[in-house]
Amino acid sequence: MCAHQVPSYVAFVQYEIRVKGHLAARWSTWFDGMTLTADEDGTTVIRGGLVDQSALHGLLERLRDIGIPLISLTEIPFDASTNDGAKPQNPEGD
Amino acid sequence: MAKDTIPLLETKLHAPRRHHGVVARPRLAQRLHASDLPALTLISAPAGFGKTTAALELFGDEQRRGWVSLDRRDNEPAVFWSYVVAALDSIEPGVGDSARSLFRSPLQSSDPALATLINDIDALDHDLVLVLDDYHLIEAPEIHSDVTFLLEHRPPQLHLVVVTRSDPPLPLAALRARGELLEIRVSDLRFTVEESAAYLNDAMGLALTTGDVERLGARTEGWAAALQLAALSLQGHADAASFVDGFSGDDRFILDYLVDEVLDRQTPEVRAFLLETSILERLTGPLCDAVTLRSDGKALLETLDRANLFLVPLDDRREWYRYHHLFADVLRARLLDERPDVVADLHRRALAWFDANGDVVEAITHALESDAEAAARLIELAAPTVRGARQDATLRGWLEALPGDVLADRPVLAVALAGARMATGDAAGVAQLATMVEHRLQADEPPVVFDHEAFARIPAQLAMHRAALALLGGELDESMRHARRVLDLAGPSDHLERGAGSALLGLSAWANGDLEESELRYAAAIDCFIAGDFLPDVLGCSVALGDMQIAKGRLADAMNTFERGRLIVEEHPGLRGAADMHVGLAEVLLERNRVADAEKHLRVARDLGEAAGLPQNPYRLRVADARLQRALGDLQRSLELLEEAERLYNTDFSPSVRPVTAMKVRLQVEMGDLEAGRSWAAVAGLSADDEPNYLREFEQLTFASVLIALGGAGDAEAVNDAIRLLTRVHAAAELGGRQANAVEALALLGRAHGQPEQQIPTFTKADLAPSTTLVDPLSQRELGVLRLLKSELSGPEIARELHVSLNTFRTHTKNIYMKLGVNNRREVVRRAAELGL
Repeated sequence: MCAHQVPSYVAFVQYEIRVKGHLAARWSTWFDGMTLTADEDGTTVIRGGLVDQSALHGLLERLRDIGIPLISLTEIPFDASTNDGAKPQNPEGD
Repeated sequence: MAKDTIPLLETKLHAPRRHHGVVARPRLAQRLHASDLPALTLISAPAGFGKTTAALELFGDEQRRGWVSLDRRDNEPAVFWSYVVAALDSIEPGVGDSARSLFRSPLQSSDPALATLINDIDALDHDLVLVLDDYHLIEAPEIHSDVTFLLEHRPPQLHLVVVTRSDPPLPLAALRARGELLEIRVSDLRFTVEESAAYLNDAMGLALTTGDVERLGARTEGWAAALQLAALSLQGHADAASFVDGFSGDDRFILDYLVDEVLDRQTPEVRAFLLETSILERLTGPLCDAVTLRSDGKALLETLDRANLFLVPLDDRREWYRYHHLFADVLRARLLDERPDVVADLHRRALAWFDANGDVVEAITHALESDAEAAARLIELAAPTVRGARQDATLRGWLEALPGDVLADRPVLAVALAGARMATGDAAGVAQLATMVEHRLQADEPPVVFDHEAFARIPAQLAMHRAALALLGGELDESMRHARRVLDLAGPSDHLERGAGSALLGLSAWANGDLEESELRYAAAIDCFIAGDFLPDVLGCSVALGDMQIAKGRLADAMNTFERGRLIVEEHPGLRGAADMHVGLAEVLLERNRVADAEKHLRVARDLGEAAGLPQNPYRLRVADARLQRALGDLQRSLELLEEAERLYNTDFSPSVRPVTAMKVRLQVEMGDLEAGRSWAAVAGLSADDEPNYLREFEQLTFASVLIALGGAGDAEAVNDAIRLLTRVHAAAELGGRQANAVEALALLGRAHGQPEQQIPTFTKADLAPSTTLVDPLSQRELGVLRLLKSELSGPEIARELHVSLNTFRTHTKNIYMKLGVNNRREVVRRAAELGL
């Protein structure tokens, strides 16, 4: 809950974070609705949109707090054709 | 809650009890040499690696060990240091007493308070260890810089232990280089195979083969929390080997796997209990009952404690517990996934319990997760106490967590947020909040209000915030308009509002050249701030008032203003503005030609350091020092200081009536650099036919002195121009009561007419040879006393003659000595004759 509405024209930045170990999908809500995909090499990719750097650091802190080793963090260029993991935009528009 | 204080939680000051089944790890203890404790021990590793246990093991002597278990609410400096002082006080009673009251709000420097604490510790004859557990929860930059200060000025008796999940922004590299840092990191904390065997087989009573221990070690990578969970699971497993097989072959994140194992083995009731109570930071029987709607909370907690299920007791009586952080996070995630609908209800039940038990802070925390309206009500009622305890950052955090529509309907809270933002140095969004409140108050429907006293103050407070915002935006007239409204709207006991309004009016009057009005307003503002105990604002206004009084030639008044400020600082060390008072006193003394005394005050100002000064102090200090150097004859140094001052100047809102560039030019011209004078004059846009203009008066006088210097180099026209300009400026300055400038104009006129023995007044008339006019004239009373001082009468006889007490006579005499710049009666008589009094 926050005191401001995020304006609809703000594009969420998509991130891909890779961690060591298979993190179950049921962690998704705890990680702000990001999707979790287990990879064959024993890692998990956490994918989704975050509104700003503070949200990113908040997510990294939550990962830190459960002790799961971080491997990599990548910003994914926004692809308008897919909405994979993107946050829903404000339907009222600006 | 007690006025102005929020009580400390005793449980945060107790080191956690050691878990059952903890193995001794001498390997770690050996890293420490008892006779040579390091300045800083950093235990930095992810959650669940046994950091706290390591700290307990390394620093086991409770006699000399203070402990603070930090949490997010400790990000307020006042709160953080309260706990630190309390922790130190518990092992060394009295050590923090003087420091305790000095730690204040985020905008005030903690340095003097820290210095006091450091001195107290330095006086001890034995060592102290202070453990800060969960330091990663501290994010406030002020706290990090305070702790850095503590480390950099550490008394040898103090040994700091920082336990954290992330390396803190402290001077680690420097400490490491000096060999004063002991680091215990994740590689140190991972259980070796031997240690794992000791733990699993000896402490936990399992009978595992070496092979099994090795496989468990490999899979858990020595992660203590994982080993503990594995041990718990194994205790219930008949077939250890198959467990280890299944565990090793599984790809799941080990915490997920192991917690599932443990949870699956619990009864559904216990499992539900664990998940539901995971929302609590601290647990006790009755609270758990309220949240889970059961009645056996106390018994269950004891069972869980005995079963070693990640409960950490917080006190000796086993009344309060918390979950191990890692376990709690996993439980919370499970809860969110399995029963998201119930989470808000759980928080609501917790809120009700804390509210009923008088713990407002905890109640608010839970309310913010479940019932925004309840949170709003609690915050509104708690706000005065929180503000009184100077915890504006806390208040701001709460308010910013409320949904926008809740805030919109509660003007007291919206205004509180505006105030909290301004108090924490952030004007963002304040104008919008003010507008929102104004609209809301005009609507038909009454707003939601719980604190009616605060509600009544809203109009005055809004006007005050608007005035401050206008000032920040450089809109002086707008600021004045709002400031007048503040005074109209504020009640007689709204000291902050009245003071702020008066100060802003004082500032605008000054900018408009009305020194009379300005002085009255500032004096009124100071009185209001003193009445309301807003001491930093007193000092800020004192700087403006004192400067103005100097400009008017009222040196005794200026002296009083700065002296009063200095006394306030003496009683309340740590206030910003201490240095400014000394700089002000130095300026007055320089006006009186008391160079040695001025030098003393400047030295004190410098020693106090930047933290003790208001934002403009670095600039003011150098300007005063430049004048001092000039008086001592070191023109080069004086010029260097002015150049430094130039770089430091920050346009705040006081009118720039003595621009440093103009000061520089005067000095340069005196040192023979006429070109500097010429080029400055070209860009300054001044001409000899300019109308007098208070705001440019100093520059006009500078311009005149440049013209005179050019005249000295052969330009006769320049001298005539100077005379023309000076005549007009002198008249205007006299009329406006700007004594300092008037006297200088007169002196320059004298020079222009060719009176050679007058020095070029580089700054003001302070360094002129015996002046023929008194800058600070004697009052009627004082003239009366003076007349009798010339006679043969003794002090007591004079007092009788004038029908005053001896004390009054002495006061008058002191003032006369000051104004005449003399030290004894004989000199008084001589000087009076010189001045024709």
